[in-house]
Amino acid sequence: MTKQSPGRLRRLGVLVAVPVLGALTLSACSTAGNDSGGNSGGGSGGETKSFSFVFPTATNSESPYETLAKKYTQETGVKIEVRKLPNDSYGTTLRTQLQGGNAPDLIVVAPGRGQEHAVLPLAEANLLEPLDDGSTAVVPKGSEGLFTLDDKTYAQPTDLVPVGMVWNTGAADKAGATFPADATGMLDLCRKLAGDGKSFIALAGSVPPNLGLMAMSISATRVYEQTPDWNKQRADGKVTFAQSQGWQDVLKTIDDMNKAGCFQKGAAGGGFDAITQGIVRGTSLGAFVPGGAAQEIMNNAKGVTLQIQAFPAAAGAKPYLLASPNYAMSINAKADAGQKAAAQEFLNWLAKPENAAQFTKIEGQVPIAGVEGAELAPQYEPVKSLLTSGDYAPLPNLEWPNPAVYDALAKGIQGMVAGRGDAQSVLAATDKAWDGK
Amino acid sequence: MTTQIGTDPVVREGSPAAGGGHPARSRRRRPLISYGYWWWALPAVLMVLLVHYAATSGGAFYAFTDWTGLGSFHFVGLDNFRRIFDDPTLLGSLKNTLLIAFGFLILTNVLGLLLALALNRTLKTRYLLRVLLFMPVVLSPLAVSYIWKFIFDYNGPINQLLGWVGLEAWQRPWLAEPGLALWAILTVMVWQTTGLVMVIYLAGLATVPPEIEEAGALDGAGTWGRFWHITAPSIRPSIAIAGALMLIQGLRVFDQVMALTNGGPGGATETLATQVYKETFALSNFGFGAALALTLTAIILIFSVLQQMATRDRS
Amino acid sequence: MFRYTKATLLREAVVWLAALVSLLPFYFLVSTALKPDDELLSTTSSAPPHAPTLANFTDVLATTGQNSILLALINSALITLGSIVGLVLFGSLAAYVLARSTRRWGTVTFYLFLVAIILPTQLGLIPLYIGARKLGLVGTPYGMIVLYIGTLMPLAVFLYAGFFRGLPRDYEEAAAIDGASPGRVFARVVLPLMAPATGTVAILTGLIVWNDFFTALIFLGGSDYQTLPVSMYYYVGSLVSAWNKIFAIVILSMIPILAFYLFAQKKFIQGFAGGIK
Repeated sequence: MTKQSPGRLRRLGVLVAVPVLGALTLSACSTAGNDSGGNSGGGSGGETKSFSFVFPTATNSESPYETLAKKYTQETGVKIEVRKLPNDSYGTTLRTQLQGGNAPDLIVVAPGRGQEHAVLPLAEANLLEPLDDGSTAVVPKGSEGLFTLDDKTYAQPTDLVPVGMVWNTGAADKAGATFPADATGMLDLCRKLAGDGKSFIALAGSVPPNLGLMAMSISATRVYEQTPDWNKQRADGKVTFAQSQGWQDVLKTIDDMNKAGCFQKGAAGGGFDAITQGIVRGTSLGAFVPGGAAQEIMNNAKGVTLQIQAFPAAAGAKPYLLASPNYAMSINAKADAGQKAAAQEFLNWLAKPENAAQFTKIEGQVPIAGVEGAELAPQYEPVKSLLTSGDYAPLPNLEWPNPAVYDALAKGIQGMVAGRGDAQSVLAATDKAWDGK
Repeated sequence: MTTQIGTDPVVREGSPAAGGGHPARSRRRRPLISYGYWWWALPAVLMVLLVHYAATSGGAFYAFTDWTGLGSFHFVGLDNFRRIFDDPTLLGSLKNTLLIAFGFLILTNVLGLLLALALNRTLKTRYLLRVLLFMPVVLSPLAVSYIWKFIFDYNGPINQLLGWVGLEAWQRPWLAEPGLALWAILTVMVWQTTGLVMVIYLAGLATVPPEIEEAGALDGAGTWGRFWHITAPSIRPSIAIAGALMLIQGLRVFDQVMALTNGGPGGATETLATQVYKETFALSNFGFGAALALTLTAIILIFSVLQQMATRDRS
Repeated sequence: MFRYTKATLLREAVVWLAALVSLLPFYFLVSTALKPDDELLSTTSSAPPHAPTLANFTDVLATTGQNSILLALINSALITLGSIVGLVLFGSLAAYVLARSTRRWGTVTFYLFLVAIILPTQLGLIPLYIGARKLGLVGTPYGMIVLYIGTLMPLAVFLYAGFFRGLPRDYEEAAAIDGASPGRVFARVVLPLMAPATGTVAILTGLIVWNDFFTALIFLGGSDYQTLPVSMYYYVGSLVSAWNKIFAIVILSMIPILAFYLFAQKKFIQGFAGGIK
């Protein structure tokens, strides 16, 4: 009955084995040349140097990084293999590739510790190559803590990103409004605009980072203008969020803004589209987005003029701004020596002011070397004096010990805006996140 | 063919003459013929052992450490697990997870079954309808996020509709109110997955030959009787499958929550799965996240085993 | 009994109503995909386009190079089909022996697969990446197929086993008595009877592979073999996303999978009716 015809058996076995073996062989063969880690071209013989470069892309149009790479190749003949990754999961993908030994030679990272692709944790894990003195010289004074570990520099910042708020001048004119001089003036303007069916700010209430950015923008004048080294004091345990008058003021300001109708209707549930659509259509006059985003919006919506403004200080207080290097480049520690050298040369080329300036122009940021004598994009006109006089502090969360602190603050504020929780508990939760590690 | 070579276990049990003399279900009895060869399962087992068990154990090991996802770590034993039970926000997440899971399980199965029954035969446009109803299943999470966030937006269609019919008082920021946001998420989940459950039930219904139903009708059974005695038992495998899959999916839902509220407002719609992702990747607490993931796995496992036992074919 | 009665007409109408309500969100999908760039930010999402255009579709199909959408479509199709074939083949074989086994190891192995569905595979991402890289599976479509087969195997086996359990043994016994070997029994008798199950497995796993973003990103991102979801994400900007182009891609990506679904419905799920006699 059970006539096991060997023919059938064998046929079935072969049917199974062949595809499996085939797949493995094929993939082994085809990845022989594809296995990256920077062996594209290689530094053998040293004639045509090249290296691979990865960065997050903003949109599908040519990224400023790509333009930069093309310029470099034009000038020096060194080929750059460009690898783009989507913005959204850049951090996770990069970490996986770095740990898997598969990452490209030159990578874009974030300063400090706050984000997934932040440089310091990567350096601590020995995944990054220390850079030479040429790169160290680019790091602005006061920001060393964001790029160096044990006196070695691990990332070279590429530009300075002012963070205040974005202001639609055309829409403001239409609404008959001028940028308020201080917080009191702002609240009055909020009420007036709300009565006209518009809003002062377009808030993405469902996206915690937007709320976090708002808090940080406000903290520039409430906390860091008075105590520039507040973060260090907190690290030493001398102050806490909950007991800080400045941070309490920050949250009170947000609460006041919420009650005065500064945010658009339904802000608590808004996403980034609330910001882009609100700003472009002029139903909201301002938003909390970094400087580069202003360029992005203007690129996508003709006829809209945006400016960067510092958030209004309290009545009688001095204006202050946040501006920090938000993007930097590092070299993969596991790359070949030839690639590493080629990448370092690129960084040194980028450090030269004339080259850096071209890059920042495309991106719409501010040159890392500072504002002196540099051509500043028109949207930064209102904050030019603050930038020249150095009245700015780096983004606070870059110096915080872990991402959970920013997360706790942002989430807490999100709850507040939606009507849950109070300032004190939010600050306490932020403290807890800080100490938690 | 008579109804005796039934696809219907009920019929089989009832007819003692149909070669069912010896209880073929006795587990210890040697089977009549050999059904395939044991080594047919080998490739599948090997792949699963490698891709699932080996890789995941590698990652799960870190649940007993304080690894941040990079660099060095220290062994901390059961500390992470203790932290889980001390953390009040996780209790809220657990509640949300269970609420969503059971709501999802029931709604998708009821609606899916109804649709499958309606579309099984006779309707002229049933294939077109099947495609239309399957479209939400195919939609990419990116689009789901954008579209539904917009629909629930304060200035979006739902509130606009409420305004038109004069129900302004009911207008809300749907995704921003802690109580409502969870229901909004459930709505989107059900919308997106009912089509899939429908497909599973359609497949199950396809194994019921029309002759059986006709025979039942001829015997005088009404619609409900036909369903209960003939159709329902035949789709028991489908119920088991759809039930298990929806339960598992409901307990570890991630895409829709992240897409709509990201766990907000203020953490009100966090589920265990979203917290696992955040701790593991976004907040650099890989060790704690891994412990959380293992706990979630244990929970899902318990429910799944219970569900398997409940729907085990007892005939 | 299966005549088209008035009740049937009513049923048809009700289901149509349900379908239309369920499809309402797609209106926004289509309307945004038809919007030209300048209307994207300047009109609200619910407003229909003033000047509807097919430019988004043509632009997106005309992209070249690494991010070419056409290329991504082909890659996605290749990988999805390869995965489905592997899953149906190995999954059905494994599920069959498991479902029919009367010994303890059968139940144990079945639970092995069930638990594997539940395991938190995101934890295994980095070990999997390193392992896959050592085997040379990273960055190639074949490697991706092997990976997807491994990842979705528990689901395929679970689905198949569930359906197999409901299949009475009469047919196999009859065929075996006629002298067919187990292999022949399986190929000629069982599999055709299991066509609905095959259809379900093909649809479900095909869908998951087709829409998969994260794994494809980690293993194929930036290479020449990117899949559609990954290429789509390049249009998501940090603040401003080109939603009209993204939705054009979404619509383009839905067409193949829906066509496949229709095919599977007709051929597998309904097509076998009355076939084994």
